[in-house]
Order: sequence, then C-alpha cells, then structure tokens
Amino acid sequence: MALAAPAVASATKVYFLQGEQVTGVDRPGTTVREAVQALVAGPTAAEAARGFETYVPAGTPIRAIAFENGVATVDLGERFVKGRLADDLNARLTQLVYTVTEVPGVTSVRVLIKGGKPLGLFPGFLVTKPVTRKAVERPAVPPPLPPPPAQPGQATDETRVLQQRLADLGFLDPTGVDGVAGPQTKAAVIGFQKWARLGRDGVVGPATSAALAAATRPTPITSGSGRRVEVLLDRQLALLVDGATVVRTIHVATGAAATPTPAGTYAVYRKAEKDWSVPFQVWLPWATYIVGGIAFHEYPDVPVAPASHGCIRVTRFDARTVYDFTPVGTQVKVLAVS
Amino acid sequence: MRRLAVLLAVALAAALGAGAAGAGTARPLVVALNLPSPGFQVGAVIGTRVVFARGYEVDLAKEIARKLGRKVELVNVERFASLYAPGPKPWDIALAEVTISADRDANVDFSVAYLTADQGVLARKELVPTPTSIAGLRGLRLCALRGSTSATLVSTTIAPTRKPALLTTMELLLDRVRTGACDAAVADMPILATLRAEVPDRYGPIVGRIPTGESYGVVLPQGSALKPAVDDAIERLRRNGVLGRLAKRWLALDVSGVPVLR
Repeated sequence: MALAAPAVASATKVYFLQGEQVTGVDRPGTTVREAVQALVAGPTAAEAARGFETYVPAGTPIRAIAFENGVATVDLGERFVKGRLADDLNARLTQLVYTVTEVPGVTSVRVLIKGGKPLGLFPGFLVTKPVTRKAVERPAVPPPLPPPPAQPGQATDETRVLQQRLADLGFLDPTGVDGVAGPQTKAAVIGFQKWARLGRDGVVGPATSAALAAATRPTPITSGSGRRVEVLLDRQLALLVDGATVVRTIHVATGAAATPTPAGTYAVYRKAEKDWSVPFQVWLPWATYIVGGIAFHEYPDVPVAPASHGCIRVTRFDARTVYDFTPVGTQVKVLAVS
Repeated sequence: MRRLAVLLAVALAAALGAGAAGAGTARPLVVALNLPSPGFQVGAVIGTRVVFARGYEVDLAKEIARKLGRKVELVNVERFASLYAPGPKPWDIALAEVTISADRDANVDFSVAYLTADQGVLARKELVPTPTSIAGLRGLRLCALRGSTSATLVSTTIAPTRKPALLTTMELLLDRVRTGACDAAVADMPILATLRAEVPDRYGPIVGRIPTGESYGVVLPQGSALKPAVDDAIERLRRNGVLGRLAKRWLALDVSGVPVLR
C-alpha cells in the first residue's frame, strides 16, 4: 500500500465508454490540461481490446484551459462537436465532464467551442452554464412505466403446441404458454433459430418446424459448476446454466461491430432494477453489470444481430429472468465462438 | 523602418477608404440568428458574436449572401420577439423560423417565403393518456416559446385551463419537456419533427399537428433596400433546387404519420 501512494498522488482518471457507462482509467498528470490531453488521446490499444472506446474526435484542438474558484473552463475547437448524432455528442460531453471533475478542486466545467458558449450543440444537456458531474448524472427523463397489458388475442391449439415445445426446450418462459401468438413467442422462435443456426426471422417455416421437432434442449458450451451464464457472441444468445443444465436460452443482442462486447470471463459486480445510462441518457431496466459499463439490461429493441454500445440487450419478457438468475458474483463467460 | 511603416499606413488607409467608397459590397452582410433551434441553427456565441454555427438557416444565409456578392457575419439575438418587434435592428437580415404575419409586417419587412410550417405538439415521455384532440390538450401543462405564433395558438385556439409556461429560448423549452416539467410543448412542426429524428429517446411522441399553413420569411428592417435582392435570391435558390437540398440535409419534414388534432 505504501508503495502505491505516490503513484495515486500524480495520477488522474480519464473517462472512456465501456458499454452504456463511462469508466475511469488512470493516467499520469494532476492538472486539467493533462487530463483533457489524455482524454483527447483516447484509450490505449490494450484498453480498446477490453471494450473501452472514446467518442471524443481524435485530434480535437485544446484552445485554452482556465481554472478559477472550482470552475474549469475548457475551450475546444469545433472538431469537438463534429457530427450530428445526439448520442455521440452527449457521450463525449459526459466523458469531458467526468474527466475534468476528477481533477482535485474542480467542481464544474464550463465548456466553450471556439471560445463561444454552446447553444443547442449537445441535445440533451443544458451547457450554457458550468456543468457539474451531478447535473450530468441526473436522469433527464422520468423512468419508463410498465408496458400496457397486451391485447388479449385469439388463442389457438397450434400456437399452444409450439409454445409448449419452445418452453420444454428452454427458449420460452413457461408463463408464456398461453396459446396466443405475439412478440414473446416470436422472440423465443428467434432464440431457437439462432441456436439452430437458421434464418432469424421469428417465423416457423418448414426448416424451423423440422428443426424444432428434432431438437433437444441446448447444453452448456463450456464446463463448470453451479449457476453461471454463457453469452454466445456468434449466435447472439445467453444461456442461463445451472450445473450441467441450460435452464433458459435467451435471445439477446450484444455490441455492434464498432462497439463489440469483449469476450472474456467476468463476474456480476453490480445490479440495479432501474439504472440510468449517463452518456446515452436512457433508462436501463434490470441492469446486471459484468465489467465496467457492460451489462445485461432490458431494452425495447432487441434486433437479431449485434446492435448495442457493448451491452447485452434482453427483451422485456426475459429481462427479469436474467436479473433474478444472476446475483452479484455470478460467473459470466462471453464466448466469441460456440 | 519607420518611413516604411508610415508609407504602409498611408497605403492601408487609402485602400480602406476606397473600399468603403466603392458600393457596399465589401461590407459583410450582418445576419441575425436566434440560437438554438434543432436542425435550423445551433452554434456557439461570445456575447452576440456567433463564432460557430451550423444548420439549415445558417447555410441558407450563406447562399443568400453569395447571391448578393457579400460575405456573412452572424450575430445572435437572444430575445426572439425583438426580431420583429419595434426597435433598433442592428443587422441586415434575420433568419429564425419567423412566420410572416400582418402584425409583424407593420414593424419589419419580410422576404418571400422560404419554408412552410404547421404547429405541432410534442409530449413528454410517459404522458398518459396520449392526447388525441385539441380538447385533450386543455388540462395539460403546456409550454411554448415566448413571442412565437405557437404561444398565440396556445392562448387562443387551445386555451388551456392551466397557465402555460412561456420560455425565452428553445433550449429551455425543450429542457422542460425532457425533464417532464411540461407535459407537452407546442412549437413549429418542422422544429419538432427534426428534434424527434435527431433525439428519439428523450421525448415522448409528437402527438399531433395543428395545421396553420404558416410561412417563414427572412426578416429585414422596415424599408430595407435589400428586400428585392433577397427576394430574388430566395426565388433563384428555390428554382435551382438549393432550398430543397438544404431542407433535405438538415431537416425532417415528413409529417405523414402525425395525426391532425381538431
């Protein structure tokens, strides 16, 4: 411990994105300028391999830095507001505010672009006054309400048989067997199609029908004991495993090509029933964090291919199941190939 | 050295004098904006000086200036209503989604129209039930931009039972909707549609539009000699497709999925 002390005294934290949240990494330096320079320089290759990324455009000019009465003024070139995607702009502002307020003595950041006060450049944040970390962290929209009850559709025996088969194989929650076709059944069919490496359209055509008839319950890809989760990046599935049994196989969407979910072995370290993504300004219900800002969480849109900022998106039908299955400490293996 | 400096100073003065005497072409066209407005104009300001700006009206101002053979100098006017209210106009033209109206025409001049707009209603997230009529808006906490035609529409056509909040800037207005302090914002449909396209997650739906058939015009100080040239520039930009191209680049104008509120 004594040896570590001097290193801490001359180091600051610079914030990059990992999944849906910012995560700090240590950098040498103690001043606002050093922190902003390190932020603009971006993550190292080793950090990038662990899923760290930056939304601050490379080569953003640092025009001037000032510091007075707890307020750091950071004047950046217009490259900082390059592009028009709100997510990108807000994520880089979040990175900047977190990084600068990490410097001892700094309580808020006045952001200037080409020396001027930004007006409307960061849709989602008011930055006409100095911004505190607390202001950035505060959820900007009320939390989502539970979805309205589904319209009771027409139950058919044909659908009930299909649902029972999907439930027996672990692709559908048993409470979803009601004979009514809908989005939950479709998600389960997509899950099965992913496992069987069929076309992922959620429709039970001849190929899916034949594969379902011949299928057996999935088995774990890797050996292990007790409760654990396997995330199969190639198949876009999460297997909830207990001992040698796959309890559930769940349709998920992991990080898009530009922001992949990094393969590796992790352990659940934080859980929140309703969590707020600070950089992307969106609610993440049933969040289960496995590393940095990378988490399983409910999301309205779970496409059939990788889509997220690095997180593992789960539909509202299975989000609670994943959450309840994974207390803190649960092992999660993210596998590139299954 | 000293003599050279004097000579240079004399030459410089002569050059400047000649420039000022020869028509107004050397003087930049001073264009007033009312930052910010999603898609139309966002940027950064030092006092009233605009040091960085982008958007539909920023590009349009540059195109108009080019047709006039002038460079552009952008200034920001903080109070929207002062663009058309009586009072000094320390600028040549203004672009800020200003609707042409007879009332306003008494104080300033307007160019021909460059864009048409209806009014729209943007709900906050999780607003239940979703209003489906003008009557359904009456009990809500409504917000609008102070001095805008939207504010007039709120007080006359909608006539809410609760006092509406009138905000001084679009940024404050949208912040109120985002945080849920307002149930819904009434604002120009092109602004709301563009905002929703740019930032889909932070607001509720556009619950409807109220057709008003407004037209945006460039504002000129009353009696401005520039009016014929500005009109001509806009007509030419419309004919050669530049107006349409700029709208396509910066704005979301498709309102086909948005119901009309009655």
